[in-house]
Amino acid sequence: MIRIFPSLRLTSLLSAAKPLCSSSPAKKPPQYTSLTESKSSRPTKSLSITPKTPLYLRTPSHATSLSEVWKWHDWAKDLASSVEESSKNSEDTLDSVILHRELKWLIEDSIVDDPLVILHRSEIADNGEKNVKLRASLEELYDLWRQRIEKRRPFQYVVGCEHWRDLVLCVEEGVLIPRPETELIVDMVEELVTRDEWFKKDIWADLGTGSGAIAIGIAKVLGSRGRVIATDLSPVAIAVAGHNVQRYSLEGMIEVREGSWFEPLKDLEGKLVGLVSNPPYIPSDDIPGLQAEVGRHEPKLALDGGIDGTDSLFHLCHGASRMLQPGGFFVFETNGEKQSKMIVDYMMTSDLKDCFSDLKIVSDFAGINRFVTGFRL
Amino acid sequence: MAIMAVAALFHARFPLLLRRSIPLLSAPTSVIYNHRTLLSDGLSTRLCSILRYSSSDGVNGGSSGGDFGNDNDSVSVVSDVQSPNYLKFTDEELMKQCRLETFRVSGPGGQHRNKRDSAVRLKHLPTGIVAQAVEDRSQHKNRASALNRLRTLLAIKVRNKVDIEAYAPPPELLQILPPKSTIRTSSGSQIGPNNPKFVPGMQALLDVISASDGSIADSAKLLGLSTGGLSRLILSHDGLRMAVNSMRAAKGIKPLK
Ligand SMILES: C[S@@+](CC[C@H](N)C(=O)[O-])C[C@H]1O[C@@H](n2cnc3c(N)ncnc32)[C@H](O)[C@@H]1O
Repeated sequence: MIRIFPSLRLTSLLSAAKPLCSSSPAKKPPQYTSLTESKSSRPTKSLSITPKTPLYLRTPSHATSLSEVWKWHDWAKDLASSVEESSKNSEDTLDSVILHRELKWLIEDSIVDDPLVILHRSEIADNGEKNVKLRASLEELYDLWRQRIEKRRPFQYVVGCEHWRDLVLCVEEGVLIPRPETELIVDMVEELVTRDEWFKKDIWADLGTGSGAIAIGIAKVLGSRGRVIATDLSPVAIAVAGHNVQRYSLEGMIEVREGSWFEPLKDLEGKLVGLVSNPPYIPSDDIPGLQAEVGRHEPKLALDGGIDGTDSLFHLCHGASRMLQPGGFFVFETNGEKQSKMIVDYMMTSDLKDCFSDLKIVSDFAGINRFVTGFRL
Repeated sequence: MAIMAVAALFHARFPLLLRRSIPLLSAPTSVIYNHRTLLSDGLSTRLCSILRYSSSDGVNGGSSGGDFGNDNDSVSVVSDVQSPNYLKFTDEELMKQCRLETFRVSGPGGQHRNKRDSAVRLKHLPTGIVAQAVEDRSQHKNRASALNRLRTLLAIKVRNKVDIEAYAPPPELLQILPPKSTIRTSSGSQIGPNNPKFVPGMQALLDVISASDGSIADSAKLLGLSTGGLSRLILSHDGLRMAVNSMRAAKGIKPLK
């Protein structure tokens, strides 16, 4: 049974002198400093990392004859079609339908001219002598496609970006590729803040921000008054998230801070109106069996959630009780089914049991019980 | 690789309210909210209903199993005087009448997988019409394309009755007629087939042609056009042409080319 509290019971809030709920924000002197101030006072180690430019933003400096590009395209198509026979027996296979789609996107990202000169060449009255401008040399394109298929390098790392909601986010090795399921977190926040403006007036935090996807999505739905702190432990993630924030000109709204979970948020205890996180949640034992693109290429730090995958989630539950102001909202992504139930049970029974109201489990588009949401009492 | 189609009720972009899906089927234009009086300051009941989903309600996570495959793709014409003009609804309202179906390879999803399953399939519950989009990189854009496709399909497949004796063409139809039409009142420029506003006009046009039993000459008269002028208009849009031709085929009239 998951529905717990008959909603906001202010009395229980006032009488809650439970150990973990006791760091009452009211007792602390106001410590809030503006985002820009605290930013300049926090130099991060990650400044030295320069994020890679995604293929589609590179300068088109490679003039190549169309016939050579066609040759590459034929080769790439053959390679994409050949995968199914070669890997029929294994569980974790490449799907040539998807590969053909990815090949089309690779072409879209690499060519300045209309991609149709490659994709629909029969309709082109050209014998292939014309030059087209590419953003990568043909040699590199051969190499990239080979990496995609032979090394199972994720397509998003190959092109250096992922399309997520209405954003195009830079990604590279060392940063998790944002998943479609996670888009729902932003949808939930959007729904919440459009129904209730109260949630727009204070600070949100996205912990373990990775590429910055959720933080950027939330900043955009908060509108000009919004403020979001995005944190991560990984220096590469910090650099990439900062870069993505810049690309969307959201430096004024999003502050990226390096550190472990709540550690960089000490100045904000009891002040957040919203807390979101998609922490690593895969049980350690499942890591070796992951799809090759994930297990071999994405950072373990972003995936491995400890023995039953809940290490970070439990930590976040406690942090939520300390960091959120009364009425504040949280949503965490989980591994689904069992795990989301474990989190809710934990929040209902441990010393956190009087800290939250309206705990819910929300399912993703595939019907998996993916998210846990609730409000700070 | 077992492809599993999972349906989730699409409500304000949330697939979370499946457990109340039955009334939605019979009352498509009314939105079902589970009103809650309990929740706190300022939180609207609407939001609560969205965030309310919990497994204690006894339905498993909004997954309804796939009814993929037994849906009615072959719906061709819905003749119903009472049916609302769906094209008048905003995107959001139309979405609420739809069930969103995403495709997923069985398995845990989330962080476990790298697979852009951005295909979107919308089933418009009141009519059973299904529109889908797979070609784009983000689910966002596929959703928009699927919705546009749904509008076109609604225009093509849903017929409203018109009274030919006292026919007065609606403004959305006037907009798509060529300037030569003698019934065009305003001098505004003609809306072409690539403009989204063409779609409601196309629906009204098909209503006229249907009421004229597929006759182009009769319809042209009602619209103040020459037969040739109307044919050109019909041929300017593939979906429109095919709809007119299937209407004509049903009456044993030869197709327009
Ligand atoms: C599953 S990824 C999510 C990334 C991004 N929010 C998204 O949804 O695409 C988890 C993120 O948590 C970060 N992380 C892992 N341990 C952390 C810690 N102790 N403190 C802060 N972030 C951590 C990882 O670096 C990774 O970026």
